[in-house]
Amino acid sequence: MKTRFLPLMALTLAGFLASGCVRVAQNRRAKLADPMMNLRDESMDAYRKQKLYTTREGAAGGDGAAAGGGCSCQ
Amino acid sequence: MLLASGVWSSDLGICAASGTEIDPDEILAEQPVDSSFRVTSVSTRLTAFEQKGHGYQSRAGELGKPGSERLTVFEPQLEIIAKQGDRLTHRLWVPVDIITSASADAIDHYRTAPDVMSSASRHNEAGTIDLTTGLRAGPNTDLSLRNGIHLEEEWRSWHSGFSASQAFAEQTTVVSAGVLTVFDWFDNLDIIGKRNGRTTRATHTGTLGITQVLTPTTLAEASYGLTVQTGQLGNTWNSVPVETGIVVPEITPDLRVRHALVARVAQSLPWNGVLKGYYRFYADDWSIQANTVEGQLLQRLTPLLYVGVGYRHHSQTAAAFFTTRAPHNSPLRTADSDLSDLDSQSVSGRVALDVPLASPGPKTLHVDVGIERYWRSNDLQMNVLTCSTGFLF
Repeated sequence: MKTRFLPLMALTLAGFLASGCVRVAQNRRAKLADPMMNLRDESMDAYRKQKLYTTREGAAGGDGAAAGGGCSCQ
Repeated sequence: MLLASGVWSSDLGICAASGTEIDPDEILAEQPVDSSFRVTSVSTRLTAFEQKGHGYQSRAGELGKPGSERLTVFEPQLEIIAKQGDRLTHRLWVPVDIITSASADAIDHYRTAPDVMSSASRHNEAGTIDLTTGLRAGPNTDLSLRNGIHLEEEWRSWHSGFSASQAFAEQTTVVSAGVLTVFDWFDNLDIIGKRNGRTTRATHTGTLGITQVLTPTTLAEASYGLTVQTGQLGNTWNSVPVETGIVVPEITPDLRVRHALVARVAQSLPWNGVLKGYYRFYADDWSIQANTVEGQLLQRLTPLLYVGVGYRHHSQTAAAFFTTRAPHNSPLRTADSDLSDLDSQSVSGRVALDVPLASPGPKTLHVDVGIERYWRSNDLQMNVLTCSTGFLF
């Protein structure tokens, strides 16, 4: 896949997410407040997973986490 | 202004007894700024990694063949979150890595003792101090600034970043953007352990994301990130077997441009469960392309306790210059098994408990324990055990 198309793909995905979605009232978001519904892992758990994957695979970076630093992580 | 009898106005912090008249100037006057500093949570996590396998980065074995990558890592972390007034939040985070055989006998021990200048091949300690300050700039706007340093044997690193988010439509939609820069400087050790001064690396990352409430039970997020790295991007002590049977230094490009597209979704299930999905597409100009999918199923057993299982699959293509038998005069070469063609999988499980406390101090105790088994198609396996405790105030 040509990497130059990735920004366009990202914008398309974002547009799909934002369009046609119902505005959910605040008083109907009780289920969303459950800690289990967090899209991301707890920060320290996310770090230890990221450390494992980025130091054992060559695909770090581009996701807001540092791709450099310590142990010559690739 | 005459308030109804006994009415407490929580916003204004005043209570009017029946018939009491309040001066409007008291209500409209500027309220004192709350600048009190209070700790809201203190958490620790300890993770142990045990790794087995073989790879060309290690020469703990026959010359020119993959060496043992056996190592153990202990990783304690500390996180303290504090609020300052109504709008500022500070997060202090300190992860430490204690690693046996960090560079896995990468230095040639046939001609010289490993690590004449350092002991990183036998054991290594590394630590980071990271401080992030967040500001609630408006009812729907958040800003944050992050700075930190990383110290380990013969390696120094500094990072700094800024991010912002803006919510729309009663916070149904949140758009975010961030930048992060990392500067590394470290000893330039060659494949026989000789130190040739120091070398540097710079990493710049920008991300854009959107989070959307799709339904009363569904959340989704999409993000795109671009990372540009320059400088010494290889491990100077890594070696590559060549056709003649000897080993020579790794040579990597001094520029790397990396793209990542990530999508996440969380769906609440009718039986107090949650199903989460994650997909990441990665591509860079070293010709590595990767696809990662991950699923988690969480189930709340009681109001205080939930359990979860997870599965992750990652597949990637090799870097264009990856080889396990390089031509002697190749301009670029690496035998680093992390940059090869590989598939990896992991399965995980966790238990999390939140216990309310009847104390004047902490209000909640959080405990979670997790295990993970990771394995790679090119001879690497890892067992992980992690546990965390936290006090919420």
